[in-house]
Amino acid sequence: MSAATIALLGQPNSGKSTLFNALTGLRQHVGNWPGKTVEKKEGTFTHGSDTYSVADLPGSYSMSANSDEEVITRDFIASGKADVVCILADSSQLERSLFMLADYAGLSAPCFLVLNMEDVAKEQGKTIDPQAIEKKIGIPVMMFSATDTKAYDKFYATLERALRNKSQIDVSALEKEYEKIGGYSEIKEQLVDDTISGYTPMWLTVKVLENDKVVSAKLKNTLPDDKMQEIENAAKSSDGAIATGECKFAWIDGILDGAVNETKTAAKLGKLDRIYTHKFWGKPAVVLTVILGLIASFIPAVPIMGVGMGVSALGGLLKETMIAAGSPDLLTGIICDVIIQSLFYIINMLGFVFGVTLVFGLLEEVGVMARISYVFDNTMGKLGLQGKSVMPFLVSFGCTMGGAAGARVIDNWGQKVLTIALAWAVPCGAAWSIVPMLSTVFFGAGAPLVIIAILLVMILHMWVTAKIFSRGLVKTEDKYGMVMELPPYHKPKWGALFRYVLGRTKDTFFRVTKVVLIVCAIFWLLSFTTGSVEDTILYKVGVAIEPVTKFFGLTWPLFLAFIASMVGKEGAIGVISALYTGGSIYAAVGGGAVAANIGEILTANVTQPEALAFIFAITFNLPCIVALAATYQEIHSVKWTTRIALYYIATSLILAFAAYHIGLLIF
Amino acid sequence: MQKLLQLLKDGNSRTVEVLAAELDTTPADIDRQIEYLEHIGVIRRVSFSACKSCGGSCNGCNAAECKGCMPQNAAVNMGEMWEVV
Repeated sequence: MSAATIALLGQPNSGKSTLFNALTGLRQHVGNWPGKTVEKKEGTFTHGSDTYSVADLPGSYSMSANSDEEVITRDFIASGKADVVCILADSSQLERSLFMLADYAGLSAPCFLVLNMEDVAKEQGKTIDPQAIEKKIGIPVMMFSATDTKAYDKFYATLERALRNKSQIDVSALEKEYEKIGGYSEIKEQLVDDTISGYTPMWLTVKVLENDKVVSAKLKNTLPDDKMQEIENAAKSSDGAIATGECKFAWIDGILDGAVNETKTAAKLGKLDRIYTHKFWGKPAVVLTVILGLIASFIPAVPIMGVGMGVSALGGLLKETMIAAGSPDLLTGIICDVIIQSLFYIINMLGFVFGVTLVFGLLEEVGVMARISYVFDNTMGKLGLQGKSVMPFLVSFGCTMGGAAGARVIDNWGQKVLTIALAWAVPCGAAWSIVPMLSTVFFGAGAPLVIIAILLVMILHMWVTAKIFSRGLVKTEDKYGMVMELPPYHKPKWGALFRYVLGRTKDTFFRVTKVVLIVCAIFWLLSFTTGSVEDTILYKVGVAIEPVTKFFGLTWPLFLAFIASMVGKEGAIGVISALYTGGSIYAAVGGGAVAANIGEILTANVTQPEALAFIFAITFNLPCIVALAATYQEIHSVKWTTRIALYYIATSLILAFAAYHIGLLIF
Repeated sequence: MQKLLQLLKDGNSRTVEVLAAELDTTPADIDRQIEYLEHIGVIRRVSFSACKSCGGSCNGCNAAECKGCMPQNAAVNMGEMWEVV
């Protein structure tokens, strides 16, 4: 028979298991609590001539009835099965970890307090006076490090003292705090010491105020109806769990006052955070960071574009060789005009996929993306959205489908639809690979300016779209801000970052290659002829629609590329590859301009205003078929999915029109 | 905690450090308040991580079980967010 049963009580990570294992060694057994899937750990240990039983209670935040673990814990303690309860708290963060002690105060079982992780607190420069705490709370208190095997004699001595004195927490200071809560005294008046065995009236009163349904049900079974009615009426008028929580924290602060000596960490912000979280400078700083990030994406892209140029040059040589060797036109065309030309575009696109993923992956890795999210969080409110909408937007920079799926976290349907509608305006990864490539081809050193213009138009687009769509979707309601814990800045883990970037680039390569080759092959075949180009159906259709497409600044091949970009942005590249640089049609559509390389062919056949119109048209067109499907999957509305899609097609053409005419003024 | 919730009523989000500065307390105090408010269900943590069942692809996922699914490896170092329920 054991001398006493000890229950170990503490929050998760308070060192309870370390203590249990050190005490019991191999003399422990593990099972489940009756009727629950919560693990039950019991064991024994011998000290001197006495054998003790130990119950390692489930780790829980408090003694409320919010989980099975918490109910099991308090039922076990109240049942009287434990002769003493060892309450563990983390010395390195007493302000929060003493909450368990505060919530325990009022239970009848004797207890003592172990301030574990003494070594960590010392490393933090904290000096803790356990005697001062003991004096205030009236139970044995000891500093301890469960991992230090030499410290256990002190533990045994404290345990024996608690058992001998049947020590209970002095709750007078805590009760004074509770008495400030409206309804507390009225509820307590209805209770007596043995209303429910194991719990004091003070503890039961607090749980009623906290709307603890298990306690309320027990009281209902025990008390006469009139008393219960009084209790329920008093509980209704109180501030509830927030008020009792504040009392507990005030009591903890009172205990620690004068007992813990530490340098209080004031709310200091680092230099960068002072800028990013600044009310005025925060937004410009973040916009500048994003712009610089996009410009920096060009640097790693340049060498990869060099590889693309090499492939193109090799394609030219191969074509000459094949023609000289008498290869059939169809075979020469498929190899050189479809496959190799497509590879040129694909490799160039991959350069930017690599660059953008690397730069923005790096920003996320070091902690800057979280600041960007924080700065734009408040803007979301102005757009009628919840703060967390900013995350789907950030994800949409990679993939709109991901952004649409990410909007699932938004509970309000209208706000979810609006979030997805705005996420479509964010150029996705495919756009960020095509747009810089085309900008470089057509505008050379001016390409970064096009990128900046795209970014600014994106912001304007989102604002206008929010104004248009929010009327029917979002109602004005009370909105709370969010609390954000920004990750600390840290050095990037280059290995993991490059693995991620290369993985994304590889995935993009396979996805893009499929689309570009298929679209390019289809359009190349439609334009392939051994006779006159003017006889092809594609040319006839193109010429027929061109008066309309020209209105938006798009020649008919560019307009077909715009249509193909709805399948996926990369589809546009397949069309360009087939019609301008791959097939025999470019000579007809471009007035017969002939040039030595693909870049020159494109610039010879497409004017800069047309190129600008095309870039804006495909960037703000509906993202892709998959994003369209993902949108429907999330909002389950054909009407709104169609509305969003038509809106984007229309606005992209309006933007193309505007870009073309601005381009005419500039170039 | 009443003060903290009162501050958030203006609709502006705040970091733990900014809250600590505005409430004239320490970030550690704000951390424990957040922990408590989350425990009693007044605020909740916003989870954006990809769910285990689909890894972010959402193929055949039950929407109720797959709340807040994001593409795998996306938004992994974005800190924590809590919203008032």
